[in-house]
Amino acid sequence: MTNQVINREEFGDVAVLHITTTSVDAISAAAIEAACTDMRPITVLDFADVAFINSAGISALLKFVVSARKSGYKLFAMNVSPHHQKIFKMVEMSRFMPTIEERDLAAYR
Amino acid sequence: MERVLVNIPSNPVFERVVRASADEVGQAIGLAPDRIEDLKLAVSEAVNNAIEHGNHSQATKLVEVVFLLDHEKLEVRIRDEGEGAERVDFGRRVVEEHNIETGMHRGFGMYLINALVDDCEVSSSQQGTVMTLRLYREGYHR
Repeated sequence: MTNQVINREEFGDVAVLHITTTSVDAISAAAIEAACTDMRPITVLDFADVAFINSAGISALLKFVVSARKSGYKLFAMNVSPHHQKIFKMVEMSRFMPTIEERDLAAYR
Repeated sequence: MERVLVNIPSNPVFERVVRASADEVGQAIGLAPDRIEDLKLAVSEAVNNAIEHGNHSQATKLVEVVFLLDHEKLEVRIRDEGEGAERVDFGRRVVEEHNIETGMHRGFGMYLINALVDDCEVSSSQQGTVMTLRLYREGYHR
């Protein structure tokens, strides 16, 4: 556990950051983006518990994109709802944080 | 016509109150679940904009949100107590290489509002800015 809104799981080169807040918004943004300082070569953001994301939340998620690019790491999103997939596609976030299936992580465990 | 009024101080915590209200109103008028999600996000963006850019996050200034429901549509009016906006840009804004590199990670809100509701408009004066969002019920003009 790195902070109140991220539950961290690590195996090998992989870090899965389970976002435990239901709202990725202006209130939770600072706590979420704080976790971007400790990424792994493959970092996965898990949105299973996330019910809402707005542009302030997207800005926080972009900090992970920046951090991953600086480090040459890969960043993925997992368990993204259809609505949030639509929003990510609209702002072209999905280009920088493609989705990954949970079963695809099995090879790294 | 039915009217629901929510007033909040300019603190982003209370944007969640408006968002919850939008959820309830959307359900009450029978919007489809994906349309309710669109409504919540558009209202959230408009309220955050009013808090941050209209009222400059001064907690003593209020954001007034009025939900107006009639047989054909839901209209949401979001009013701030700021000094007015010179112009509002609803242009398409996406994540691009250059704004990642420059750290310019904001500005998606107005584009999302415009894309998610059936129509929207802004009126602004020295007494504040009002953003009006409309979502039409199934079968009515969009």
